[in-house]
Amino acid sequence: MTTDHNPLDQAIERCAQEPIQIPGSIQPQGFLLTVDDSTLRVLQASENVDRWFGLPASEILGQSFAELVSADFDLRGQLDYLPEADVFPFHIGDVRLRQGAPDQPPLRVLAHRHDQVLILEFEPSQKADGVYKGDYYPLVRAFVSSLHQATSIEELLLHSVRQIKRITGFGRVKAYRFDSEGNGTVLAESVDPGYPSYLGLSFPASDIPRQARELYRINRIRLIEDANYQPSPLLPALNPLTGKPLDMSFAALRSVSPVHLQYMRNMGTLASMSLSIVVDGQLWGLVSCHHERPRQVDVQTRTACELLASVLSLQLESRESHERTRTLLDLRERIVRMLAAMADHDSVSLGLLEQPEVLLAFAGANGAAIISAERCDLIGETPTAAQVNALVHWLGRRGDEVIFHTDNVGRDIEELPELASRVGGILAVAISQLHSHYLVWFRPEQARLVNWAGQPEKAISPQGHLSPRHSFDRWQEEVRGFSAPWDSLVIDGVLELRMAVLGIVLRKAEELAQLTGELKRSNKELEAFSYSVSHDLRAPLRHIAGYTELLNEIEGEHLSERGRRFLSHIDEAARFAGSLVDNLLNFSQMGRSALRLADVDLNTLVHAIRQELEPDYQGRDIVWAIAPLPVVIGDPAFINMALHNLVANAIKYTRGRAPARIEIGAMQHEQETEVYVRDNGVGFDMAYANKLFGVFQRLHRMEEFEGTGIGLASVRRIIERHDGRVWAEGQVGQGASFHFTLPRHQPHS
Amino acid sequence: MLKPILLVEDNPRDLELTLLALERSQLANEVIVLRDGAEALDYLLRRNSYAGRDDGNPAVLLLDLKLPKVDGLEVLKQVRDTAELRSIPTVMLTSSREEPDLLRAYELGVNAYVVKPVEFKEFVAAISDLGVFWAVLNEPPPGSLRLNRRGSN
Repeated sequence: MTTDHNPLDQAIERCAQEPIQIPGSIQPQGFLLTVDDSTLRVLQASENVDRWFGLPASEILGQSFAELVSADFDLRGQLDYLPEADVFPFHIGDVRLRQGAPDQPPLRVLAHRHDQVLILEFEPSQKADGVYKGDYYPLVRAFVSSLHQATSIEELLLHSVRQIKRITGFGRVKAYRFDSEGNGTVLAESVDPGYPSYLGLSFPASDIPRQARELYRINRIRLIEDANYQPSPLLPALNPLTGKPLDMSFAALRSVSPVHLQYMRNMGTLASMSLSIVVDGQLWGLVSCHHERPRQVDVQTRTACELLASVLSLQLESRESHERTRTLLDLRERIVRMLAAMADHDSVSLGLLEQPEVLLAFAGANGAAIISAERCDLIGETPTAAQVNALVHWLGRRGDEVIFHTDNVGRDIEELPELASRVGGILAVAISQLHSHYLVWFRPEQARLVNWAGQPEKAISPQGHLSPRHSFDRWQEEVRGFSAPWDSLVIDGVLELRMAVLGIVLRKAEELAQLTGELKRSNKELEAFSYSVSHDLRAPLRHIAGYTELLNEIEGEHLSERGRRFLSHIDEAARFAGSLVDNLLNFSQMGRSALRLADVDLNTLVHAIRQELEPDYQGRDIVWAIAPLPVVIGDPAFINMALHNLVANAIKYTRGRAPARIEIGAMQHEQETEVYVRDNGVGFDMAYANKLFGVFQRLHRMEEFEGTGIGLASVRRIIERHDGRVWAEGQVGQGASFHFTLPRHQPHS
Repeated sequence: MLKPILLVEDNPRDLELTLLALERSQLANEVIVLRDGAEALDYLLRRNSYAGRDDGNPAVLLLDLKLPKVDGLEVLKQVRDTAELRSIPTVMLTSSREEPDLLRAYELGVNAYVVKPVEFKEFVAAISDLGVFWAVLNEPPPGSLRLNRRGSN
């Protein structure tokens, strides 16, 4: 269970192993008999029975119960009143002992069935001095209505301890609450003058060993009337029906650990009563009553106290569940807001970034980081980006856990000591581990002072047994390195957020797949379209051009001058339409055919293009300024087409300039090569710069500059297919420059 | 004497222009015109209405890609699949510049592929080049007969 390395741990473990539910003896303010349920004969008796019967225990054994008490007590009949599902001692009535026993007032009889026998406990019925003597019901009713008015847990507890002090007459009644590690802090207290106050002090978890804690959980009341009592052993020691020591977990008179009695004496308290506060099946806290002198608490009073503690427990449970519901609603509401933002932005990161305060409030954090493959966004108080990255790597190495949280970074992430200097707590969730997609929240360290009721170390006796501490003086400890702990509701909420985010990511992937499908379909349609354009549009154009030429050839002489001019217009129009169709087809093919990447020497290319275009600028005065050009990676045919277009444009739009100046150069950037063609031609208005690269976008009239308006669109398409960029700069009358870039390293995709 | 040129073309305008182009290229070969793929196969395989035609294969087969009944690619495939026809030089004429057609034609073993230019001058030049190359310059495969020029029907 625990790994016990040091002597203290070993001693604590040994203490936790002490079989407190089978002490083999009782506290001597009453006596105990175990009786065979069918024969009602006595199986075991506590040694102190002689005080009541005037007979030694050995003579009681084997006797029929009926012979031990006065004839008017019908045990069998009374047992019918035992609640069926209840394991706790039940007051079945008062009894006088048989004739011959010393004269005495009637005894209370408490019965419960356990460990295969009927356990009967007898105790005096008179009440102690200084105890409430009236009826308990009005008291309990008043208490329940006062609880409803309490506004805080502390107030609730204060009402309870005051009431319990009133009806029991204990000198000090305090209520404390256990933290997740089992340390108890006193939240409410009611004390008589002269008693030391423990309000606000903490008792270490080691004060109550594990098995005692469990016993508190199931048996909700324990009374020790006198810490100096002499335990009275059971005779015989073993339960005859089981052959084992009697299990006295629920017995009211059960004797307690000598360590605990010493603890009480050290604390200066000779009587104590503990009432368990159990919330949702967990030991939430205790109401602990102390008295400096021995003190009796009769059955009625104990039952009333138990009832008060149960009401208190239910009240706390309802408050906590209310609180949880509210927290849960807050969490949900924030999840919804974040999801809405993510959906709006169609991005997890952007959506979360839009509402930083919601992201932080969601987890009650002061800082957060959103980490995806591309980016790492920090919000609020966080470690540096480098530290966050180191954390993400650390998380990635941890394996498949989706969520990680700590309220003490220094303790739990030893590998990243600098992280602990920035934050105290971390809550991280992996949206996708594969893609290093994490959401991380940070909480600052909260150094806090704990006021221990005495130094929380127990001394170990030479035998290696635990001897309880002697000092209960205030002892202050500064606890460092911790943040506020992460509530399990927040952790669940984070997992819920993760599922929702995954949903969004998944939906986006589906949409993308659908889009791809649609694109494929429309691409197919486009192919079919250009196929039919290619066939069906070109044929009539060819016929128009062919017959026009033939007509001109055969009948041209018979036509008027006007007629021949019309014929030449028809011819031109047909030819222009033909080249329009051809260009369009080229353009559409450009988007579809695969790139064949190779090294392309731009010097050779430009040289060839100039030769090719020579007929277009023969006789013109052009100054070429061509810088040495690099070798780029691209599809040679396509790059040729793009450059050809740009150079042809420069030649075309410098028409009328003398001299025309055409400059071709390149610049190497880190990731890409930029190539430009600059001229001193007619230029363009930058207002139309974005139109330049569109299909059929022309900035000049047909008579000024011929063309189909597809050249620059082709350039853009070619360059973009190479993952490059195109842009143009110009000024009307001042020339233009056209730029494109090509990546220096083509990705292998 | 000269083996005929077999022209398979369904579009009357294209047919007229092609014939004009062939005429201008001053080839001496007879031109046999067929108007769809089925007719072309009948002629080549000497079946149905062409069962009784003279022996011998054409000097060159000018085949439009898109033809009624049996399209050009199918005719080409059958020519290449038939032992006696396999050696006929075949030129695909088409309006299409689409790559898939072109690829398919080459896969089926076409000898040349001409995208009909819009401009008539270029068209004449292309047809004349083809005719000259295939009908005149190419040595006929051994055993093929030279026929007299005659009308298409």
